[in-house]
Amino acid sequence: MNAITETRPAQTTAACFHCGEAIPDGCNIGIEIDGEQRYMCCPGCKAVASLINGSGLGGFYRRRTAFNERPLAGTVPASPDATAAFHIYDDAELAATFSETDAQHMTHARILIGGISCAACTWLIEQHLERIQGVSAATVNLQQSRLLVAFDNRQLRMSDIFFQLEALGYRPRPFAHGARREQLGAEFRDDLRRLAVAGIGMMQVGMFAIALHAGEIQGMQAEYAGLLRWVSLPVAAVVVLYSARSFFSTAWRHLTHGKLVMDLPVAVAIGLAFLASVWATVSNSGQVYFDSVVMFTFFLLLGRFLEKRARSKHTEAWLDAEDELPGAVTVARGKGWETLPRIRLVAGDKLLIRNGDTVPVDAQIVQGQSAVREDTFSGEHLPRAVTEGDTVYAGTVNLEANLQAVALGTYRDTRLAALRKSAEIGSAAKPRLARLADQVAAWFVAGILLAASATAIAWLQIDPERALWVTLSVLVISCPCALALATPAALTSAAASLRALGILVRTEDALEALPRTTHMLFDKTGTLTEGHLEVAQVIPLSTLSETGILALGAALQIHASHPVASAFAHYPTAGEPFDSVSYRVGAGLQGQRGATRYRMGSTAFCHAIAPTLPEPPDDDRLWIALCSDDQALAWIGLDDPLREEAQAVIATVRDNLDLQVELLTGDSSPRGPRLAAALGMAVHRHGLSPQEKMQRVRSLQATGARVCMVGDGLNDAPVLALADTSFAVSGATDLARTQADFVITDGGLQRVLQAFDVARRCRGIIRQNLAWALGYNLCAIPVAAAGLVPPWMAALGMSLSSLLVVLNSLRLNKPKQALQNSPGGGPLWKVSTS
Amino acid sequence: MESLYLLIPIALVFCVIAIRLLLWAIGSGQYDDLDKEAWRILADDDEDTPARDKPPVTRQRSDDDHA
Repeated sequence: MNAITETRPAQTTAACFHCGEAIPDGCNIGIEIDGEQRYMCCPGCKAVASLINGSGLGGFYRRRTAFNERPLAGTVPASPDATAAFHIYDDAELAATFSETDAQHMTHARILIGGISCAACTWLIEQHLERIQGVSAATVNLQQSRLLVAFDNRQLRMSDIFFQLEALGYRPRPFAHGARREQLGAEFRDDLRRLAVAGIGMMQVGMFAIALHAGEIQGMQAEYAGLLRWVSLPVAAVVVLYSARSFFSTAWRHLTHGKLVMDLPVAVAIGLAFLASVWATVSNSGQVYFDSVVMFTFFLLLGRFLEKRARSKHTEAWLDAEDELPGAVTVARGKGWETLPRIRLVAGDKLLIRNGDTVPVDAQIVQGQSAVREDTFSGEHLPRAVTEGDTVYAGTVNLEANLQAVALGTYRDTRLAALRKSAEIGSAAKPRLARLADQVAAWFVAGILLAASATAIAWLQIDPERALWVTLSVLVISCPCALALATPAALTSAAASLRALGILVRTEDALEALPRTTHMLFDKTGTLTEGHLEVAQVIPLSTLSETGILALGAALQIHASHPVASAFAHYPTAGEPFDSVSYRVGAGLQGQRGATRYRMGSTAFCHAIAPTLPEPPDDDRLWIALCSDDQALAWIGLDDPLREEAQAVIATVRDNLDLQVELLTGDSSPRGPRLAAALGMAVHRHGLSPQEKMQRVRSLQATGARVCMVGDGLNDAPVLALADTSFAVSGATDLARTQADFVITDGGLQRVLQAFDVARRCRGIIRQNLAWALGYNLCAIPVAAAGLVPPWMAALGMSLSSLLVVLNSLRLNKPKQALQNSPGGGPLWKVSTS
Repeated sequence: MESLYLLIPIALVFCVIAIRLLLWAIGSGQYDDLDKEAWRILADDDEDTPARDKPPVTRQRSDDDHA
């Protein structure tokens, strides 16, 4: 395990040893790990790496197969008591929502951990925690990113566990018991039990069946054949009654609603073949199909289990919109401020919302002025200035200064909760696609019943004694195994291939629906654009060069945390640093260099010291003025730039896929229509509220259109839920991700095209599979109806036919062309097992 | 061939024991995480893990955060 192969040696000098991100120029921080000097990109990464190495767990870096997540501590200016917030979990009432304490003072807590990138992370967390005195056991479930920890509450407090996890660079969060989570866990164990019983049963019955089949060919005494049949019966009965029960219940449930689903022919085949074999055993006549019944059950269950597991593995069903909100809030109690769990908030509480904090609940400002970023809410790419009397909404970010505000209600009353509710309504109204396989199944069942009755009638005329057995053999040989596997095998295979590309498939029905899309709708901010401001144009107003202007701007903005400042973050600063930098809310920055005063910000703010400042160009960019005493220096135009691939992707969607492309934006500035015109998209209206967006999708759907929506923001979530198919782009909000059918985890908009490509190929494969399954039955049924098929041949034909379908589906996993731009988060380190 | 009358029931008894064992293991949660266990069997635990005799980690205070 010690040998390390470095696949990209050139990267090691430029990439952070901990998180893999590029090390900024001039940054020289690092520590020695395993005798070698390693460099990190930020103090946060260094802190985590030294903790890991210092506690003797440096072996973690050899074990891991993917880079860690960059710890937040080093990158985002956290509010002063961000970590103090963990102390709220010491509150017994809150702790009880995710932990239990037994009589021996042991607390068992469930904690959801963000930032787990590979199995080595589970090793690191378990090793680290278990060596803390007082912790008796720590187990991380990689599938669910969940930690179960047991500790002695006389020696440790709940917050200590949270601190330890955060220090390791992970994001801990209480894992509250939810009905859905409980149900998923219980379902998983149930499926596994059924599969286990079917598997062991299959081996037993298969063993007896080989003897029976061989005996039939070589000649075997009737006495022993009877014995083998009699012992197969109870084993098969257990499998049919226990493992295959779900097929019967599903088929019955749908039948009572007047629907014929795939499970119906499956249930009919299993039931009839089993009953016929029981009759044959009891009456000591005819043929037994116990092995076919059990094998069929096992393979179907296995297929479904793997499909479900692949889907739930990356499902983000436990992401809640509420999780985006801070867990702790600062509330005025008596004379001072107190940190309380957010769930304790009631209407009328006075809150302190610090600069940089996410607003925890809808609230009205009573003191202070600031700006809030609402881009995910409204699509507006510029922050909204707020002051006393204005309302700020839960889920938006306070950018400039501390605010005091009065809560207008609890989470239930927030606009975020309302959005989530609309998303649920949209999700319920989503057009359900009639699966190709279910459509085929209805015809298939009718056809088989017809063929079976025809056979029975014909044989009653020819040879009444054999009529029953021949009819049963028709029913058994037409076993819909291949048909039942045709769609799930192809969909699972397609989902796996998409996952390798960086696209998670949340609902597999969407894979079938995607190729039928007629209209493609895009959100603007954050979807077609990058979602953050960048310098687009510089207009020098003095002799200072463009580079000089940007360096000056960067030197000033280094003191600010406004989104404007981030536009300057990657420009090098020049000259001596500024003194006494001050920020005026809603106006701009002022700094001192020697005797000269510099200002950067709004027109009025700069005009005050530099009256010669001309008006900014009249367009939809955000123009920032830069000036010094009595001298206007420059206008700097900021813009949320288009994603570089947007132009090409839109053109391909329009021209090659032949879809109607439309922009659906909440931004009310004229930038939307202008951008749409440049990209050649239609714009219905701009400045749409989430309800208006839904209305637009509904009216399109009413005309028969199949709508595919691509979005990222909270305000897109209801539309993503409503559209026939939907994508959440990388960096989308959690609420959008939980509502979209496809979640792009890595890469840009070109992933949408790749998903279309895979979905189209998948549809082709499903059709081939269905054609094969039907063709096989068309050939086999006449032979069986003629009374020519012995049971072993039926079993063999059935298995081969299913195998073919599965192998055909696996072709989807083979990428058609080499992937251009391989996922950036892929393992750069490979641990060889030499 | 009479031995079949003895051997087959014995096989069935083993089969029942195997199923019971497996169901017990599933019920006690040993199969809840199929991903990690697959990886963990390959990791040698003792190779670079120091002994567990470290002093207790000092309790963090809220005012010493580095953020």
